[in-house]
Amino acid sequence: MSEALGRVVATERKPNTPHEFHFWTSLDCPVGIGTIVRVDGARPVAGKIPHIYGIVVEGFSYTDLQSPMYDVLSHDGIPSKAGFAVTERAEIRLYTAAVLRQIPEEPLQPVPMGEVFLAGEEDVATALRMDGYLKDGANTGIPVGVYRAGATDSVIYLDADFLLGPEAAHLNISGMSGLATKTSAVEWLLSSLFAHFPASKGSVAAVCFNVKGPDLCFLDQPGKLEDRDREMYEKMGVTPGPFENVTYFAPYTAKGFGLNTLRSNEELLYNVKPLTWGLREVLQYAEVLLNKDDIDAKADALIDFITERVVDRKFDQDPYLSKDHTVQSFGDLENWFRDLLRGLERANAESWRTHHIATIRKVRNRLSNISTRCAGLVTDTGDVSDLPFGSFEDRAVYVVDVATLEEDAQDLIFARIVSKLREHLERRDLGVKHLVVFVDELNKYAPNDGQDTYVRKMLLDIAERGRYLGLVLFSAQQFRSQVHRRVVGNSGTALYGRMDGDELATPGYSVLSPATRTKLATLEKGQLMVRHPHFTQPIFVRFPRPAVMQGRDGAEKFPQATDVTLEHALYRSLRGVDDKISMAWVKDLVSLYDEDELIAARNATLVAKPAHVRAFFESRLKKKIPAQPVFNGGLAPREIITARTLPDDDPYGL
Amino acid sequence: MGHRVGVISSADRDDKGSWPGSAHEARRFIQDRLPGSAPVEGLSAEADRYGRADEPATLVEPSVTETDKFRAITVSAPDEPRGESGFTGFLDGTQKITIVNQREGVPIVWATVSAAVRVRANRRMVSWPNRGPSVRGRFYVPFRYLGAVSEELKSDPRFVDTTKEVAGEDVPSRHPAALMEAAVKRVNFDREDVERDLAEAWCQTESTGLYVDGSITTSRISSRSELAVGVIKSHRRLYADGDAFRVLVNLRAGERSSIFAVAPRNRHPVASWYVRVRDAVGHDALFGLLRVEALDSPNMSERADKISLWVMAESSPLALPDPRWDKMAYGIRDTEEFLRAIS
Repeated sequence: MSEALGRVVATERKPNTPHEFHFWTSLDCPVGIGTIVRVDGARPVAGKIPHIYGIVVEGFSYTDLQSPMYDVLSHDGIPSKAGFAVTERAEIRLYTAAVLRQIPEEPLQPVPMGEVFLAGEEDVATALRMDGYLKDGANTGIPVGVYRAGATDSVIYLDADFLLGPEAAHLNISGMSGLATKTSAVEWLLSSLFAHFPASKGSVAAVCFNVKGPDLCFLDQPGKLEDRDREMYEKMGVTPGPFENVTYFAPYTAKGFGLNTLRSNEELLYNVKPLTWGLREVLQYAEVLLNKDDIDAKADALIDFITERVVDRKFDQDPYLSKDHTVQSFGDLENWFRDLLRGLERANAESWRTHHIATIRKVRNRLSNISTRCAGLVTDTGDVSDLPFGSFEDRAVYVVDVATLEEDAQDLIFARIVSKLREHLERRDLGVKHLVVFVDELNKYAPNDGQDTYVRKMLLDIAERGRYLGLVLFSAQQFRSQVHRRVVGNSGTALYGRMDGDELATPGYSVLSPATRTKLATLEKGQLMVRHPHFTQPIFVRFPRPAVMQGRDGAEKFPQATDVTLEHALYRSLRGVDDKISMAWVKDLVSLYDEDELIAARNATLVAKPAHVRAFFESRLKKKIPAQPVFNGGLAPREIITARTLPDDDPYGL
Repeated sequence: MGHRVGVISSADRDDKGSWPGSAHEARRFIQDRLPGSAPVEGLSAEADRYGRADEPATLVEPSVTETDKFRAITVSAPDEPRGESGFTGFLDGTQKITIVNQREGVPIVWATVSAAVRVRANRRMVSWPNRGPSVRGRFYVPFRYLGAVSEELKSDPRFVDTTKEVAGEDVPSRHPAALMEAAVKRVNFDREDVERDLAEAWCQTESTGLYVDGSITTSRISSRSELAVGVIKSHRRLYADGDAFRVLVNLRAGERSSIFAVAPRNRHPVASWYVRVRDAVGHDALFGLLRVEALDSPNMSERADKISLWVMAESSPLALPDPRWDKMAYGIRDTEEFLRAIS
């Protein structure tokens, strides 16, 4: 049995309660804020010696001085004279601990006097009620970090049932930026989750939204670890290494040549896929892009009409339209609007099917604008390249890189992907049973104030109902106080890295003792405070640096590709589906066809992934009359006459 | 180490559960054993005077042994830093006196005397590991005026008869104040007894200096040991009559007086001298003034200088908020606080 390191004390002014007690220690005792201790009661209660587990939340130190002036007088006002005093004043280390657990739990009594011991590994498991889910048969522990105090080195486990549901779910991380807390903690925790999530609970995957910089762009690349990190990995039973199954998704740039991602280095493109949507996909989420001024009830009704009655079906026999329309893309929709408005103007009509002409003009204006605002993501042609909804793989990570996109496009991507995930999980056909969605900068997407947005409503919905579906939100932000209370409130588990003093002064942190807040403000890299439903008090842990390449290192090792030409863009992307594609073939096509047409053909090819890539690609291009070279007196041609594209309504069918 | 009869400590109090551990228990104890006695919960306005058993203030001509006459000797410049100290142990004793019962106006006193040695290790005070503190609780009863009392109580060594005839002393009258003074005197003897016991134990087992709060003349062993140094803060008896008085009151901080011999009646002779540890400017004449007692030895002047420096070194840190802070060593304050906590 270890030696007692302190004794419980209580006075009338500072009594012990069932939830708090005080103890003193020697001056050199390895006790500090966050240390877990065990009190052994001196007398049995109902025949059992009570054991009380507590965590230190406050510390006091004082001497027998009753006034600072006495010390000044002691040393004649000269601080350096203090060193000559033959005796040091009597000094005390007095700590306040919050009770984590009492055994037996009934009757719940004030903490008795007794000796205080440093909690060992078994004590820590008991104190945090981890014994309930680490025992044989339960085994739902997910290591989150290591608790260290004195000689104790205990793994702290989260309960998978309370992390991914169904009992509770969601995880929220707060911490100052740039201190390797939020992203690193999530990367580490995902590794731990993938390593320890019990097979009996089903499959699990993660969708991560990379919202800033290259943070999540190199999850499949090994990172630098130190020995102490490896020791922690070993202790927690996680193999240190990058994620094995990662797929990246990013929209194209506005020009459409390359993908709009920081992971654009040619060496890494093997698992980067385009993310493009057409009219139908976007119209379902028009609300995301159009604010309340844009969509009144009348506009909303017209958009619904277009979605239900116009898109993807033949729209014919309308007296105002000059011809039948089949709207499948933004381009088709624009033609439909143009035809309709001309017809209405010709007939001098003010409304069409109860929709006023002004409403039609407004909706046309707003919808047509979307493909411009979300260029690269939304295609005029209607080609769709999406996440593999329905065939998600177990222990796979899908990263959606929206870091360099406009805010509208980010919102659209976020809203649609999460909605689709939810739909598939409801139908149980996503491919995995549990899905973690990681969103950083939550204060931007689910702010505490400001107008209600579609994205915020959706995040609230996930936070409140996602656990029943297996849809789990891992969210992060710098300022927890600026995030909607219902989002953070529904997070069963909360992690805190080093916090800003101003943030700690907000009411949300008032439940923490001043000392705990001070510790939060001075946490080192790799330290976290953990709140979890089983833990009655927050616990401080250390976690290893993630075994994946950090964003900054990755950006240096794999620099972003510079602006590529159309030829290179086509060559690169088509080589991804057919390594027989040659640059010469691409160059020939570029010299023959328009940029937009080639990009549309490329997008269609990447979506279809045909067996014969060249044939498929060429079939998407309009046929051309080959240009005839013109020679001048046997010399090399000075000018090549480019073939002209035939009109759409070519009567000869060439 | 075992304790003498009547000396109890927290460790063995449970075994002697019937013996009082507090004034409240003492009150109930007497009520059970002395029929007709009434508990005393509060004291009258003049009751605090009962406890005064101080000797009268007197001036005594010093018997100087060091120099031709009583004079001031500088041992340390006023602005010189406090030096090292040769003391490692600090001995002090306390007493708590309470009138717990009265029977027909006769006060029955319960008193606790305690003493402890605290030692300095790495500049911090801890209990002397070789000998724990002594705590003794006893009743001080004037059996002569109490009427019928069982023989069991009379023969119990933990009941001290304050009206027992002692050679050379008058039996106190029935006046409550006289009875109280007699009780206090006995309590003082008992406190000196436990202090002496510890001091002698130190001198017989240790090899470094012991700072004794009070006189060492009560013990033959202590007064003949180079280790024990008595430091007296109260000056009811001043060894400075005549010209010596002027020298004494004008002693400056860092100065000591000439050495003189002290040989009280029924006690053991020692060498003694005064030393002023704090400047008395702006204070009364006895501010910061201490009288030191030590074994008289051939190199006494040199030892007196050295011990004076030690005593001066012990004046830091200040013993505030104790009202005697100008004279009290911090080690003694620590011992007093320790005794207050355990007794």
